[in-house]
Amino acid sequence: MMYPQLVIEGVYFAIISIVMVFIIVFYILTSRARRSVESSNVHSEAGGMERGERNWMLFLFSIALIGNIVFLSPLLPSARNTLYSPEPALRVEIHVEDYKFHLPEKTIRIPAKTPVEFVVVSEDLVYGFGIFRKDGTIVFQMQVVPKPYVNRIIWVFEEPGTYDIRSTEYSGPLHPWMFVSDAIVVEEVGK
Amino acid sequence: MNEDERKILALRFALVALLFFALAGIEGILMRLRILNQLTAFFDERHYYSMMTAHPFVGIYGWAYMAVMGAFYFLVPYVMKRDIYSKRAAYASFWLMIIGIAIIWTTTFVTHYAPLYTLYWPIPIAIELAGWHPAAIFSFGIGVTLVLAAVLVFFFNMFATIFLPVRVELNGGERLGAGYVFKELMLTAFNLDKLWAKVKGIPHYTARVFNYPVFVVAVFRGCVDTTLNAFVIGGVGLLLASFGLYHLISGDSPGFALIDPLVYKNVFWWGLDLIADGNVLIFTAGTWYLVVPLLLNRRLYGEPVVRAVILADLVVSLFVWNHHMLADTPQPLALQIQGQLFTWGELITMGLTIFAVLATIWHARPVKYSAPLKFILASMTGYAIGGLAGIIQANYAANRYFHNTQWVIGIHGHIQLIVGLSLTIFAAIYALFPLLTGKTLSERLADAHLLLMAVGGVVMGLAMGMAGTLGMLRRTLYPMGLGVYKPYMIVAVAGALMMATGFVVFLINVIRTVGLSTLIKLFLPQR
Repeated sequence: MMYPQLVIEGVYFAIISIVMVFIIVFYILTSRARRSVESSNVHSEAGGMERGERNWMLFLFSIALIGNIVFLSPLLPSARNTLYSPEPALRVEIHVEDYKFHLPEKTIRIPAKTPVEFVVVSEDLVYGFGIFRKDGTIVFQMQVVPKPYVNRIIWVFEEPGTYDIRSTEYSGPLHPWMFVSDAIVVEEVGK
Repeated sequence: MNEDERKILALRFALVALLFFALAGIEGILMRLRILNQLTAFFDERHYYSMMTAHPFVGIYGWAYMAVMGAFYFLVPYVMKRDIYSKRAAYASFWLMIIGIAIIWTTTFVTHYAPLYTLYWPIPIAIELAGWHPAAIFSFGIGVTLVLAAVLVFFFNMFATIFLPVRVELNGGERLGAGYVFKELMLTAFNLDKLWAKVKGIPHYTARVFNYPVFVVAVFRGCVDTTLNAFVIGGVGLLLASFGLYHLISGDSPGFALIDPLVYKNVFWWGLDLIADGNVLIFTAGTWYLVVPLLLNRRLYGEPVVRAVILADLVVSLFVWNHHMLADTPQPLALQIQGQLFTWGELITMGLTIFAVLATIWHARPVKYSAPLKFILASMTGYAIGGLAGIIQANYAANRYFHNTQWVIGIHGHIQLIVGLSLTIFAAIYALFPLLTGKTLSERLADAHLLLMAVGGVVMGLAMGMAGTLGMLRRTLYPMGLGVYKPYMIVAVAGALMMATGFVVFLINVIRTVGLSTLIKLFLPQR
């Protein structure tokens, strides 16, 4: 299964591979040049930009523009579900107190492909709220800011299956135990 | 202080910084092993998290800040051909930093107080819930306050060294007031003088007081960020000390509701992120701007643009804090998007910085790569790898997957800090060593040091990051087993051990060059 974070990681590794190859080639070219290149001492004294520098800056601006457009578009499920939030068909309220999740029922049953709003309220400390697949990968997460704040996120589960809940934020030495196995079961619509 | 005294001061700072680097490294390796559920008899979860609390203070303030302070106490007077403003202040910052870190380390080690460096309200004061002792809160708060007091004293000394006197008397006897001096400082330091000339309709602006090298501009620009940071984090230290003291005296707590947790988090991250810009990015860039042209005997490429970039990055740095809070849903969406947009601005400013340094090297070819130059090239690679990961995780949508995972602290945090920042600090050490001691370190051992640290750092960071993509969290032990994350954590340990070996090679290089007794004598009273 190609999760969004794995796709992002793949693109990232491709780019840093190019960066590393570039630096190695740069090192070889600059250390082994045969001629003196005093003629290329072309610093801009007047405060203007060289053409290469200007082009590089335009390239960086373009990358920043494209990056923002991609990450703000509904391309990623996380953007679709949070920035373009559909109307929730279901609401699940969870309370957190003294390092424990208090779920509305032992196993929360949710229909697949249906917008669900998770409302998480902390009675005391800062916690995290993350839903994980059984293979350990994150479906989504949010911080849980304590009262008086209410933390909400709408999500559409595309895949039926069983999911775990884990606190994704450190809140004290008991934090690693804030794990609820098989907390959510997402069922195919119509079942 | 004369130049010899400044050399001794710089060497003392450097030596203490290296000791803190070693301590942070030992902590890091121990924590890596503990994540693998090894050494469980040696330290439990409370001990682990207290070590995780001390680790960034030792690494960032003990290592990075002390190394930077030592280098700048020598370099700024050297470049500006004047003395440090105050010798007393210089040594006050030295001792305040050591005492502050010692208090933080001892408090966490002895009491297992573990609010982590994030100090999210109200975790640091959760006496009943988390089991903290009020004396530990007080002591930790004092330690944090002293560390940030050291930072403020250092910056006061830097600003005073660079800018005083505030009124200048020219050779002709004309006296220029503080207002004029400040205006000219702003115009010339950030390359706004040409714009000013256009506004005034004059052919060109002639500086009468200032003509700062770009290195000095970067130093005081970085000092702006890190001074603001010191007020915020030092303020939190004072808050914790006051809270602990109140509890010790009254036996009661003012309560969590004393402070709004979301407002606190915003202020905290606004202040904390300024370290990333001031210390990690701008001080590093300033060191490149100084060392690379000096080694190549050339001017920095595109210096006017670099000055403008330094100013632009100040604006960027003041508005990026929200990329730490993209997973906080009560936070207004407009602030979330602002955090994302401004973080992309760092791609542009850092990209132009790296371009200027690479272009300087390119125009100097053929280049004989000495140790400092190799370290700087590797450091720039580290910034590219770590910085790009940071920009990815700082997008609102991507943050749902990456927030608080090993990706953030591995690929972004540790590659940026170890391969990026630390290799630049080592570059400065290799470059300054002959100036400070009159002796040169072995180039072959320096190569081995570089290879082991750079490769080890990248291997560790990438392995952590890949585990993060699979869902492994930072700041979390997995007492029920690591599962699919385990192979990545084993590779991360291998990377950490490579770095440790690299550091040992560096120590051997230093000791065989100057001798252990010379290093010890540095801390004896000088005649």
